[in-house]
Amino acid sequence: MASAAADAAQSSAASAARLAREWSTWAMKKSEKMVISFARIKPRKKKKKAKVVAHYGFIPLVVLVGMRSEPRPSLAQLLSPV
Amino acid sequence: MGSAASASAPPPPPPVQPHGAAPPYGVGLAGILPPKPDGDEKKEEKVDYLNLPCPVAYEEIQREALMSLKPELFEGLRFDFTKMLSQKFALSHSVLMGSLEVPSQSADVIKVPTAQYEFGANFIDLPQLMLIGRLMTDGRLNARVKCDLTENLALKVNAQLTSEPHYSQGMFNFDYKGTDYRAQFQIGNNAFYGANYIQSVTPNLSMGTEIFWLGQQRKSGIGFNSRYNTDKMVGTLQVASTGIVALSYVQKVSEKVSLATDFMYNHMSRDVTSSVGYDYILRQCRLRGKIDSNGVVAAYLEERLNMGVNFLLSAEIDHAKKNYKFGFGMTVGE
Repeated sequence: MASAAADAAQSSAASAARLAREWSTWAMKKSEKMVISFARIKPRKKKKKAKVVAHYGFIPLVVLVGMRSEPRPSLAQLLSPV
Repeated sequence: MGSAASASAPPPPPPVQPHGAAPPYGVGLAGILPPKPDGDEKKEEKVDYLNLPCPVAYEEIQREALMSLKPELFEGLRFDFTKMLSQKFALSHSVLMGSLEVPSQSADVIKVPTAQYEFGANFIDLPQLMLIGRLMTDGRLNARVKCDLTENLALKVNAQLTSEPHYSQGMFNFDYKGTDYRAQFQIGNNAFYGANYIQSVTPNLSMGTEIFWLGQQRKSGIGFNSRYNTDKMVGTLQVASTGIVALSYVQKVSEKVSLATDFMYNHMSRDVTSSVGYDYILRQCRLRGKIDSNGVVAAYLEERLNMGVNFLLSAEIDHAKKNYKFGFGMTVGE
């Protein structure tokens, strides 16, 4: 029984590692595309775009980082008022 | 002289304290100096100038005085609710219904009644990363990021972004912490550049300087400050080329009571302000009160009603300008 639990833990760890790899390659591809399109814009408009991105994206970024940190809170915990 | 003495003797293991007196400069220093014979402690403690503690950051030298003398006074109703989703992540909701003062040219005080709701998200994973964001109903975002790039170098970002153009502000700070000094470099919007450096001179005294340049208005300035603190008191002095001289002194009278006073002189506008205040930290409440040289009396009470529930009362009375601000509120959540 102990070995079965250890096996289950190992396989879930392996699948988690695979998921993490997939997520990170996806994120890298997306960010490369964004950086290339960003580098093509003029400097003053760049500042404006950066400010707009920061303005709209900062709180979602904090929430995203928080939801992914250990221990993972669930979506129900995020949305419920209690 | 100091270096030869401490380099030649190999450091003995930290001695058992036979006298029962705590070493005034910390356990590390007691491990380096040889143990003292009885009765000679106070006179013969030799300061090891190569092993001074790291000083308080430049912008925080007045933090004890600011904590005691400048509580967040408000007018109206205030309600804060903080919900911890995990040890590191929390969401906060905050409602403020009351009057905000609008700065006006004339001597009159203009108050605008406002109601605002503020949503906040905090992710605090010290020491590596700290993200704090606050978003208000009028679209203003207040963002603070603190990130440790290496063990000694930290990056701090502080930004207020608004929907109206040209009102946003941002500041990037790079902090380097050495063994007994700290250095900081700042870049802000409107081409603001600043740098400051603070060094521990003795175990109780630290001194620092700063220099800044404001690109848009082509102004530069230089400042000097120093802080002297012991277990019982903190005294600070700040002088800047913008014509400001500021002194502050905080005395910790007992575990529960501290008294603070500060003095500020502005040479450009020939304005002098001084205030005296007290800070009682009791088991169930924290009460701060102060009186100003302008005749302004203020008090702030935070009472702990229950685990995680705090009741706030704030009052500020200015008879000369006929400005009376009273506020009450509640804070729920850790």
